[in-house]
Amino acid sequence: MPDVFTKIALQHYLVVGTIMFGVGLIGFMCRRNLIIMFLCSELMFQGVAIHFVAFGAYWHKLSGQAFVIFILALAAAEAALALAIIVLLFRQKQTVDSQAFRELRG
Amino acid sequence: MNFVIAHSYLIPLLPLLGAIVAGLFGAKVLKGASHWPIWLGVGAAAVMSLTLLVGLLGRQDVVLVGGAEHAAAEAAHAIDSAAGFPLAHVSHWFDWIVAGDDTGAKFNASAGAFIDPLTAVMLSVVCGIGFLITVFAAGYMKGEAGYFRFFAYLGLFIFAMTCLVLGDNLVMLYLGWEGVGVCSYLLVGYYYDKPSAREAAKKAFIVNRVGDFGFALGIFLVFYAFGTISYFGDGPGLVGPAFHKGFIEMALNPSQYVPIGRLWALEWILFCLMLGAFGKSAQFPLYVWLPDAMEGPTPVSALIHAATMVTAGVYMIARLSTLFVPHHAAMVTIAVVGAFTALFAGSIALKQNDLKKVFAYSTVSQLGYMFVAVAVLNPVAAVFHLVTHAFFKALLFLSSGVVMHATGGELDLRKMSGMKKVLPKTNILMLIGCLALAGFPLLAGFWSKDEIVSAASGKSTVLWMVMLLTSLLTAYYTFRLYFRVFQGPELVPHGEHGHGHAHDAEEAHAHADHHHNHEPFIMIAPLAILAIGALFAGIINLPFGAGVSAHSLGHFLSQSPSFAYGYAAAEQTYHGGQEVDAAGFGQASQEALSVTPLVVGGVVALLGIAMAYALHLQNRKKGDQLAVSLAPIGHAMERKYWIDELFQGAIVEPLRAFGKVFLAIDKYVVDGAVAMVAFVPQVTGFGLKLATQRGYLQGYALGMLMGVAVILLWVFA
Repeated sequence: MPDVFTKIALQHYLVVGTIMFGVGLIGFMCRRNLIIMFLCSELMFQGVAIHFVAFGAYWHKLSGQAFVIFILALAAAEAALALAIIVLLFRQKQTVDSQAFRELRG
Repeated sequence: MNFVIAHSYLIPLLPLLGAIVAGLFGAKVLKGASHWPIWLGVGAAAVMSLTLLVGLLGRQDVVLVGGAEHAAAEAAHAIDSAAGFPLAHVSHWFDWIVAGDDTGAKFNASAGAFIDPLTAVMLSVVCGIGFLITVFAAGYMKGEAGYFRFFAYLGLFIFAMTCLVLGDNLVMLYLGWEGVGVCSYLLVGYYYDKPSAREAAKKAFIVNRVGDFGFALGIFLVFYAFGTISYFGDGPGLVGPAFHKGFIEMALNPSQYVPIGRLWALEWILFCLMLGAFGKSAQFPLYVWLPDAMEGPTPVSALIHAATMVTAGVYMIARLSTLFVPHHAAMVTIAVVGAFTALFAGSIALKQNDLKKVFAYSTVSQLGYMFVAVAVLNPVAAVFHLVTHAFFKALLFLSSGVVMHATGGELDLRKMSGMKKVLPKTNILMLIGCLALAGFPLLAGFWSKDEIVSAASGKSTVLWMVMLLTSLLTAYYTFRLYFRVFQGPELVPHGEHGHGHAHDAEEAHAHADHHHNHEPFIMIAPLAILAIGALFAGIINLPFGAGVSAHSLGHFLSQSPSFAYGYAAAEQTYHGGQEVDAAGFGQASQEALSVTPLVVGGVVALLGIAMAYALHLQNRKKGDQLAVSLAPIGHAMERKYWIDELFQGAIVEPLRAFGKVFLAIDKYVVDGAVAMVAFVPQVTGFGLKLATQRGYLQGYALGMLMGVAVILLWVFA
């Protein structure tokens, strides 16, 4: 059996991270529910975070992990803000469809 | 006197300081006492100028009556000898504009004075008469709004005018030339709330620009030809490698100093400089600004537009006569323009009804005389007439100022008559001025004018006849004015007070004060001094020895290097022929005194006065009838031969149309391009906004994704 199936190596992590990013991206593009779009953007975020951690472990450098700690903290704050905004938007129109808020365009 | 020569910079500086003090502190601090800094500054300059004049007079070599041959030999020797001009001093103040280096052409316009008899005479006229007029002005302008402004401008004018006559190079002359132009503009437009004054100020400035354009070109050409703009370099008559020669000395022998390829410039220099002189000294066709300049306050008309500034052109040609003399065409042009202007302006003056306008045209006419004098190789007579004219014309203008003061700004001689009862002192002063201007025998104007007329008679009969006819006209229009205004039945206009200008409480008060006395001492005293000058100034250059030696002014001026070199140039050009009258350059002349021109001149003056007496005092009805019978001619003269209308139609309107074309180009092409620069991004932005910012969140995300993809492709592919 080739190594790639028996041992979990760097490329596995990268594949998982990339798939997460891709799923998030496609979801962001295709869905119109603001909450789902927000979750998709979080998915892309975490996909990238997995890359950081994987590379950090591979190179035996802690900076990757440290960076991810910041990303998580930031994502938490961002989630609080974004969900609050979505709640406010919902109160305006009783919907979370992104198309409903087109008048916010520049 | 040595003090004055060593500190010659004080002569322009003190009036300038006075002007600065009056200008800065006049409005708030000095107010009604704003004339003091100017009195002190100009007074000090006048004292210094007169000290200089007296000192130089004391130093000149004494001419003995009968020692003519000795003096002539002396004068011929003077140019060769290094110490030939004991009365000439070059005083260097500081380096002003320096460009280039010693290897190539070096331009060096120093600020410095060239002091010689001509300078001393001009300075004394400018500062002496200038001081009298500032004294008069303190009485005349009392209570006017902007009193301090008036005096600050006067001080500035004296500064510029002294720079003009003191300067030792053409750039200093130009500085003064433009400076007096600016002051003239400011003072003509003194009553700037009056539209006519504003127009007149602009006209004076713009017409002068035409002349100054030529003058500037002339200076460029002088530098091009001679490589210097200094009159006499380090000093006249100096030789040797260490000394810089001035261009007047070089002009005596141009082939030695001017590169062959640049000799063509010599004649052009003259015509360019001439244009400047004609503009400043109001000669045809650039005279049109001077009559309009009478919109300024009367002391300004007396000082700037009669006695000093307008003589700057005559001064320049006298100063540079060495350049002018060898070129026949230039001299003929000056003679023709001068004689034509004299006659032309004299004839306009016949039918003017405004006192100041009559004197303005008379000034133009008298300046024509001075130009004729320099053109017939008699610059001494030009300077002589300049001096006497400064006295009697300032007197006449200031006297009409007194009339104006008494009648509340009325100047129309048809509306007044028999003013001698109201203004007894002014009557006498005006009479003296009129007699002097008319050339009444033995008064100042008689000697100076007839010297010019007799000099002209030696050159050309036509010129002589024109000059005599002008003398007749001068006597006639002067006494027409005098008889109409001061003699005859009494008719005193009582117009509104204040010279017909701005009113305020202070002014009303000031006028109430001297309502009972129309001739305050402060105004009459300067006039009395001017009147003495108008009576006796002829004594400085009598054609015969009587108590004082003959041609004393001429002898004094002959020790100015400008006149000595001018004479040498004339001798060189005409090879000592009969064309050159040595006395014209102040050299001792062998010619006997000819009485005929003097008698003819006197008779002509008396004839003119008699005609004016017959038509304007004895039988005014007859005069009016005659005027009616000659209506077409009179109308042409009254409308000044429609020259202003001609200028308006031929020059101003086409220029204005031309300007409108440029206005349209500016508005639609230049401004259009600018507007387009702003309009294009605006439209693009609006289009982009409509095309891209549609509010579809996914669209933005796709855009970002594409952007990242493009960047990645760019970087890695």
